Order: sequence, then C-alpha cells, then structure tokens
Amino acid sequence: MRPFTYERAADLGAALAAGTVPEAARQHIRPEVQYLAGGTTLLDLMKIDVMHPERVLDIRPDAAAQPVIRSEEGGLWLSAVASMAQAAEHPAVRRDYPVLAQALQQAASAQLRNMATLGGNVLQRTRCHYFRDTAFPCNKRQPGSGCSAIGGVTRLLAVLGVSEHCIASYPGDFAQALIALDAEVEALAPEGPRRFPFSQLHRLPGDTPEIETTLRPGELITGFHVPTLPWARRSLYLKVRDRESYAFALASAAVALDLRDGVVHEARIGLGGVAAAPWRAHEAEMVLQGQELTEACAGQAAEAAFAGAVAHDDNAFKPELGRRTLVRALMQAAAMEP
Amino acid sequence: MSEMIIPSGVIGRDTVRQEARAKVTGAAHYPSDMPVPNAAHAFLVTSGIARGRITRWRLEAAQAVPGVLDILTHENTGQESKPIPPTKGGGGSTTTLQSDRIWHDGQIIAVVLAESFEAAREAAHKVRVDYAEEAPAATFDSPGVEVQVLEETLEAHEDPRVGDAEAAFAAGAVTVDATYGTPTQHHNPIELFTTTCFWEGDRLTILEPSQFVQGLATTVAKQLDIAPNKVQVISPLVGGAFGSKGGATARTAWIAVAARRLGRPVKLVASRSQGFTIATYRAETRQRVRLAAGRDGRLQALLHEGWEVSSRPSNYNVQGTETTSRIYACPNVWTRVNVVHADRNTPGFMRAPPDLPYGFGLESAMDELAIALDMDPVELRRINDTRREPIKGLPYTSRSLLECFDAAAEAFGWSRRDKRPGSLREGDWRIGWGCAASYYPAKISAACARVALSAQGARVDIAAHEIGTGAWTVLAMTAADQLGIEPEQVEVHLGDSTLPAAGLAAGSSHTASICNAVAMACRELRERLTHAAVTANAGPLAGQDPAALRFEGGALRGEKGAAETLAALLGRTGPMAAYAEHVPHGNPPDAPEKVKQGTPMTTGGAQLPDRIQYGFGAQFVEVRVHARTGEVRVPRITGAFAAGRIINPRTAHSQLMGGMIWGIGSALLEITEIDRRNAHYVNDNISEYLIAVNADVPSVEVILVPEEDRLVNPLGIKGVGELGCVGTNAAIANAVHHATGRRLRQLPIRPEHLL
Amino acid sequence: MNGDDHRLQLDPRVTLLDALREELGLTGAKKGCDHGQCGACTVLVDGRRELSCLILAASAEGREITTIEGLAAAEGVLHPMQQAFIDQDAFQCGYCTPGQIVSAVSCVQEGHAGSDAEVREYMSGNLCRCAAYPKIVAAIRQARPQMERG
Repeated sequence: MRPFTYERAADLGAALAAGTVPEAARQHIRPEVQYLAGGTTLLDLMKIDVMHPERVLDIRPDAAAQPVIRSEEGGLWLSAVASMAQAAEHPAVRRDYPVLAQALQQAASAQLRNMATLGGNVLQRTRCHYFRDTAFPCNKRQPGSGCSAIGGVTRLLAVLGVSEHCIASYPGDFAQALIALDAEVEALAPEGPRRFPFSQLHRLPGDTPEIETTLRPGELITGFHVPTLPWARRSLYLKVRDRESYAFALASAAVALDLRDGVVHEARIGLGGVAAAPWRAHEAEMVLQGQELTEACAGQAAEAAFAGAVAHDDNAFKPELGRRTLVRALMQAAAMEP
Repeated sequence: MSEMIIPSGVIGRDTVRQEARAKVTGAAHYPSDMPVPNAAHAFLVTSGIARGRITRWRLEAAQAVPGVLDILTHENTGQESKPIPPTKGGGGSTTTLQSDRIWHDGQIIAVVLAESFEAAREAAHKVRVDYAEEAPAATFDSPGVEVQVLEETLEAHEDPRVGDAEAAFAAGAVTVDATYGTPTQHHNPIELFTTTCFWEGDRLTILEPSQFVQGLATTVAKQLDIAPNKVQVISPLVGGAFGSKGGATARTAWIAVAARRLGRPVKLVASRSQGFTIATYRAETRQRVRLAAGRDGRLQALLHEGWEVSSRPSNYNVQGTETTSRIYACPNVWTRVNVVHADRNTPGFMRAPPDLPYGFGLESAMDELAIALDMDPVELRRINDTRREPIKGLPYTSRSLLECFDAAAEAFGWSRRDKRPGSLREGDWRIGWGCAASYYPAKISAACARVALSAQGARVDIAAHEIGTGAWTVLAMTAADQLGIEPEQVEVHLGDSTLPAAGLAAGSSHTASICNAVAMACRELRERLTHAAVTANAGPLAGQDPAALRFEGGALRGEKGAAETLAALLGRTGPMAAYAEHVPHGNPPDAPEKVKQGTPMTTGGAQLPDRIQYGFGAQFVEVRVHARTGEVRVPRITGAFAAGRIINPRTAHSQLMGGMIWGIGSALLEITEIDRRNAHYVNDNISEYLIAVNADVPSVEVILVPEEDRLVNPLGIKGVGELGCVGTNAAIANAVHHATGRRLRQLPIRPEHLL
Repeated sequence: MNGDDHRLQLDPRVTLLDALREELGLTGAKKGCDHGQCGACTVLVDGRRELSCLILAASAEGREITTIEGLAAAEGVLHPMQQAFIDQDAFQCGYCTPGQIVSAVSCVQEGHAGSDAEVREYMSGNLCRCAAYPKIVAAIRQARPQMERG
C-alpha cells in the first residue's frame, strides 16, 4: 500500500445519509479524491497495489446518521451510503422488491454486508486473478499490456460482453437486481448532480477495459431510485455457487415476472457471474413476452440470453449453466405465491 | 514389550480443554501475538516466474521508502544460511537466497526489513527483478516434466506386491479398471505462517507455530552452522497446521539472519497468498486401480498405480499404496508409485497424506466393483475383511472395520436404501447415498517427559504441541489419571524446544507418543510414593502389599479403608520429579536421542516387521444434486470409528467431526488451480480456494466404536486426527453415482460435471 | 475501545486490526488473511460486526469498538457466548475463535439466530479450518436464550 493523504468529510457523509447534499458539503466533491466508504473494495486492492490513490476521502457516515431508505412517489429511494445489510433488511425492500433483498442477502458475508455501502457495492471491481495480481500484464490495469486471463485459468470469468482485450467478470449481485428493475442512479459531480439509468453506469470492456464506468472525474453516487413496479413482488434472486454460502456466483439470475394466468406480460432479467458488467437479458425478455411460461418457453428465452456467449477453456460450461440457472429462476418465480 | 496401562477413571472421561478459557477470552497467545519490543518488520518478496535465474536486482525505489532498514537478496547474504535438506515430510530441497536460481513460482527471493509492517510491504511491492526466464512444466502432461519410476531409481523404495496380480486380473470373473484423479490442495490453516526471531548474544529464540519444535530448532541451527543448544523454538499454541507447520521452511533462517544483522528482533507475518508457495501442499495424483473378483465377491487381484507431482529435486511422495495394498484380503496384489517432477515447490505432509488421495481410488473402485457384482458395498467389505494384511501376512493388532460399517449403517438407515441410481428424488434435488471405508495407520514416536509432584499438584514438562487436537488436555488427563488427582491440579508446559523432546505432532501419533511418555514418568512416581507409603513405620499404609494400593481421589488407598493423602505423603518425602524416555515398539533404543536431535522417529502402521496397526472407520453420506444446475450438497453424514483407547471423548469427537467436514470440502470444493503456462497458483487466497463454510454442514454424526488394542502401545491409543478425513471423498462420489448414475473419478466434483 | 478512550499517532495506512494488535496489545482479533475473506479479525463497530482488517484505524476514530477482550461482563465472569463455546467444545485450535464469538454475539443481537439453518448461513463469514461448525451452532443455540434473558 502506498502512502496517501486521509481526509474525512463528516458533513458529506451525513448529507449522503440524509439524501440531500447542501452546497457547503459539495466542496468535498473533487476529481483528485478517491472516495472511501465501506472499504471492502478499496482497501483490499490498495493492499496489493492494484489501486493506489494519493488522496482518500472517507465518506462513511457516523454511527448516529441513519441512511435513508424510503418509499416515495414513483418508487423506492436508497441512499448510496446505506449498508447492504440495512437495505437487505428494510421492510419495503423485502416486501416490494424481493429480488433486491435477496440479491443483497446472498452476497458476501454478514460482516461485509454491515460494512459495504450500496454505492460502493455496485462499483466493486472484478475478482479476475490476473487483474488482482500485479505480476501479470492486464489491459484493465495497464492499457495495451495484454490480457493474461485469455489462455489461462478462466473458470470464473465472463462469457457475455467480453472482448479480445478482457474477459473479466463482474462479480456483484445487487447490480443484477437494479438493472432488472430499471433502477436509476443519482450522482453528484463537481459540475453538478444528475440522474441516469443504472444500465448506463457500467461499460463493457471493448477495447478500453480500463474504463469501467461512465462516471465523470470526481463523480460520487449519492443514491438509487427503483421505480414502482407492483408486480415486482413476484421476483427472486437465484445464485448458483460452489459452496452453500459466502461465494461469488458461478451463475445467477435476478428475475421479476408480471405473470397473469400463466402468461408473461412482462419479464425482467439480470444475469450475474457470467458477464463483464451487470447484464440485462433483453433478448430473453422479448422471447418471454406474451408467451405462456412453460419449461420449453423458458428454455428458449435462456437460449436467446446466451446466444452471443464467447467461452474460453475452463468457462466453457458457463453458457449451459447460465441457461439452466435462468430457467430454474423463471420456473421458481412462476411458482411463487401471488 | 511394555505392559498395558489400566486407566483409573480420568482417562476416558469427557474433559474440557485446559486452555479453553484462554481461547475464548482472547488471552491465548499464538506466536505472533507474543509481544516483542523494538521489533523490525519483515515482508517477503517472492518470484514472479517459476523457472530460470535472477539476472538483475533493481532496489532503488524500494530502498528509498522511508523506514526501510535493509533488503536481503542472494547478492548480499552469501551463504549465511544453508538450504534445508530433503526430509521424509517433504518441503525444502530447493534453494532460496543461496543462489540466483528460481525453482518454482512464488519462491522467496528477498526479505525486506523496515521499521513498520506498512513500510516493509510498500517497499516489497517496489522491488523490481529481471529474470532469465525458462518455460516451466506445471503439472501432469506439461511438456518438460520428468517421470520417475521409483522402484527403478530409488534403492530404498518398495512397492508392496504379492502373487501374480496381472494374471489374476486377466482371469478375473468381474473386473474394474479405472483411472482416478485428486487435485492439488493446500492446508490453509487460519493462522498464517509467522516467524519472529531475536538474539541474546549468540543465543537465538524463534517464535513460530510449529508441529515439531525440536525439528525446527535443530534444522535452523544446522542451516546457520551454530550449536543446537543455542537455538530455542517457542510455539505455545498453533492456529491450525494439518501438516504445514511440521517441517522447517526457508523463511525461518532468513529471519534469524536478518535479526542478527539488524541487531534487533525481526517479525514476519507472511501473506495468505505467499503461504501457497513458501511452505508445502498436497500434490495432485493420478491413479489407476484394477480390481478383479470372483462372482462371490472375493478379491482375486488388486492393482494400484499412482503418479504424484513433486518439485524437480525432491522424490517426496506419499505412496498411499502402502495402505491400499493391505486393507482387504487379496492373494494377488501389485502396486507402483511414480513421481512426476515439475517446476513446483516441494509438496509435503497434509492431513492424511497417503490415505486421503489413494483411499479415493480404492474406495471408489470397491464401490464400482460392488455395483458390477450387484452386491451391497457393505457386504463386499465383509466378504473381503481380513485379520492379516495380504502382503506379508502380518496380523492386525486390532481391527474393527466391520463393526464400524455396521454401526454407521444402522445409524444412517442404510437398510432402507433403494440401490437403483436415480431412484431417490425430492423436487429438483436428486438424492444419493454412498459409503466408504476409512483407515489410517496407528503410529507413535519415542518421547520424553518430566512429571513433578508436590503438595500443590503435578507439573508436566514436555515439548508437545497443541495444534487443536487437545494435546494439552490429554497430557493433564494422563498425569491426573495415573496419580489419582484431577486434571485441574496438573500444570502442563509444552511447545518449547528446551523441554523434553516429544516428536512431531503429526501422523495422528502425538497423543500416543506423549501420553505414554507421561504415563511412564508417572509410573516411576507411583513406585516411589508407594514404596514410601508401605515402608513408613507409622504410616497408615505401612506394611501393606504395594501391588494392592491404588491412587484415587488425591490419596493412596489400601485395604480396609486405609489411606494416606498425597499431600501427607509428599510432606514426608518432599516434592518428587521423574523423567522418562518412552521407546515404543518399532523404535530403536536410541530413538529418544534422535528425537532430541530433531529427527522424527514416528513409526507404526505398515512399517513394523512383526505386525500391522491401523485405525478404521466407515462413513455413510447423503448427497443432494440439483437436477438443473448441478450443485452438490451434503445434508447429512454419519461416521463410525474405532481407534483403540480414547483418552478424551470430547476432543476425539471434535477431531473426527472436523476430519469428516474436511473430507467433504476435499471432495467438493478444494482445488488449487494452476496456470499451465507459468506454473502459478491462480486462486492463492482463502476466498477462491474454497473450504467448507458453516452453511455447508447441516448434520455430522460421529460414533466412537469401542475397541481395545493390547499391543499397539501401553495405553492402547491409535490416534484420530486424520482418520475422519479418509474415505469421505469416495463416499461422496459413490453417493453422487447413486443420485445421478454418473461415476465421477476426478475431484473435486463440481456443478459443471453434473449438468 | 472496550469502553476506554485511546489516542494513537499512526501512519494512515495502519488498519484497525494492526492498531489493535500492535499498538494496543489486544491480540484477540487475529490476522488470517488481511483481505476480509476469513472473518478472524471480526470486531464490533458501534455494535455491528465488521472486519477490522478492512477498516483504517483513522476511519475508526470516534467509533465504539468492542473486541473479544471486552466481552466478559466483570472480572472473571464470562459472557454467555464464551461459556457456551467452552461447554460445546466449539473450537479446536482456537485461532478463529475470537472472531467466531464476536460474530456470534452480533448474530444473536441482529436477530439472525432463529433457527440452526439461519445460524449456519449468518455465521458463514467466519471460516474455521478445524471445522468446529456444528458445535459453534450448538453454542449459539445454548447462549441465545441466556443473552435474551439479559
């Protein structure tokens, strides 16, 4: 870990918790700082020299601040500095968006969920070993240096949204629920605030794997807005992993269904563990739309979801596992009590 | 031969661990917890290539980090420490800072020393090295590996054989011929590899978690070319070892050199990822097993060949065929073991080193044979049970394999089994039941102990090791039992190489080794106390027959209620101490001297000339395999084990339970993934090297089957630390077959294998 | 820190874990991985279980930290969870134990110790290589009613 300057902005942390950032607190929003909230990504990567900011701004709110999660007109608003645990346990989240609560609850461990904030969680970096180990060339760490993962051990890496320059997988769960539910991001940059679809937050690697998000320099996520979706009560998050808990997804599916008499009026699907960024499976949703949800139909949707999959060696099983995970999730969602 | 010791009531009693309170309050000190004032901090630099040479160091940036004190490399350490020679336990054999040569990925190549851990870590990341790199051979089938057939190249190597197995196999009525594979695995105890060294004059003290303090002290003394009595290793508690802390590793002597150079203590806490390459591991195996049986199920041929990976210079191998050739009755047995040399660190002992991997091959093959015979796998074991091992006909000192199968089968409900694969299902979960035998050699080492007794209580001094097995407690229990007092009245001192030497806490041999030594010292105390009691003119026991007296309830008791308290007795005699050196059956008379010199003398199992001694068990497991997505879960497992005398059922139960859970992880989760291009361990962390978590283990049932062994050692102890993890992997694979009809022969079994 | 205030002058890079162990002599919390993967460094921060290896000591300023050393009620009296771990033999080598116990106390207080299955899930962030898991669950089952009685 390289030396850095540590700053703490208690007023900014409190403001983020409360949901409004007054002018006075906006002075902390600067391009030269790296924001520190839960620390579960930043400190992890600083210890192995993958990230080395010169200036760290601690925005974690004090114990007294209660980050806001509230139902408001048009949907649910969650403060970016709410912890994963807080959001997972929130009654409105559990009642109205089970997929959101489950995606949070099945992630990481209880300790990590207490520490990690929602804003930090969606920005977590890939677990790709070749990214994390500075002994290996990595286009994400050093543009143009090559992708050490291709040709290496790839079991946990992505098959959707990859490029010849990067096959790293996005490991998060919460993001799959957000993208499925058409959530929006509120963010604050030195230039001012904005609101944009969550689906536009992450970028696929393409030929610039080093650029992971569309955030502007110094821009800080302040909150998430999840639109009202009454039928999202029929939703779930299915995570397939090697061990029963405390493991990243081999494949996962966030699924919400507007199902009426067995017919799909609308489907929302997010796929985790298999893609380079949070992944909305539009093609699969289109296959399901207007159809009776049978095993065969679910299978066709799953085929569509993975039609563009590109596998490398050890992850050749992922398209098949991903398809089956989606089918399982769809059938399980269909069987839920209305 | 020593006579059997009869316990007096404390041995065999469920007893809380002596160090329990310390462990639950945070007061327990592991070596890196021990305060050492003015310590400098070390951080290791390890190689980024697996084969080649260092051509140039670029240290300017690292040296410029504020707080850096020194950086040791091969260019400035000369020959201050010699390499660790090859040992039976594996590890070592390769050099570190002694030369510019790189033997494996992650080899220690430099040691950064700084005022703080943070500065040392920063500087270590700034060290730059140029290499002349060569393409390494990573594992089986990699171009450039060297296959060594041990019987052709190593004079001391013996592959157990009897009869004409090839012919018998060719003539077999029912046969199995299959290849099995087990993966590279790492111990990953939760405690990291740590070393703190400080000098007082020419005397070196090492604080390091160790399974053999004598071995570590004497090895480092040899490496540094100093007298062994100038080195002391202190290891009061070990935060898990499983074999990884048994032999000296390269880091220790360099930390000692660093401390000597700096003139102050040096503390090292190696990182988790470094732990994958600076110590040892369980090498991957390939095995071919051929079985032939008559239609009655009797084995006619058993052929077991294994290939094991090792480093370039080391012949280390676990040779699990030593066991598998001797478990079942069979007139024709052929075995062979081969080492495949690759550009890897040298492997070493890891929990049940031979029997966990090779037991997978044999116990899977037996299950495949049972299916081919259309026979219950339990009955197949019954038909092929034996009182003598087939290679030389030596008798088992005791053997309760079938009692274990019957007890476990009963508790599990095996008789309700529908044997057809795929016949059991619950919703989307396919259910399967499987079973396998467990076995592990009963071993023991020479050990020395001192026991002192005063009116206040007893004190045991012995260089034993508490690695979680409960050694501390069985020592107190043994002394208490033999002296007629309570364990709370026994103070135990262990974990220090200046104490009487006790051998390696490994091979499930420690309890037998240390308790027999303590019992021997207690016997001397008993004789002296008894003599004092019966010869005292006015004493209450004067003139009584010494053989009729017993130690009980803090007193020496005789006929008609006559008794004298130990306090009174010792008031007359004064405090007493006895020192004993126990030489077990199979050890030469100078074994205690060898142990003091740091040479392990552990023997037993199949290595004795006149008999064979093993612990046995049987495990039954239920698996659930998801029909769509292939996850494998183990909702329940039952194991029954017979291991001779159980000193402390509480800790024995925990060891067996922990072993079974280890077995589950070993079958379904644990694999060190190797990048074939560069022989690098890719998942070198405890998040992606998967061990079982709490949610993986809903139900574990452990049954202790009573067994008395009058031969194995005077206390009749066989050891349980490793028995529980043998056979679990096969039981699971057998259950997966029952659930799905698919026979999986390569571990770990993962969802992608079951889609 | 367990009810007492401490003033420390530290390199900003020092983690809460290293500050506890190296500066304050509180070696109960253990370093098992230093990357938030094993749970052996678990402490309570403002009453919630967190991983001290991924918290900068500077970030802990102003917070209430409870470590294993701070759990016992009064001189010599063990917390019910500590006593339950002893009674159930819920440890072997003992290295993960301080983290397990602190985590277990928090697990009960969070309301996540309702059933054995829930306990297993919510305690999965504390790795135990000795695999004392079933006995850890038994210890939590024993201690929970005692904790709830106060």
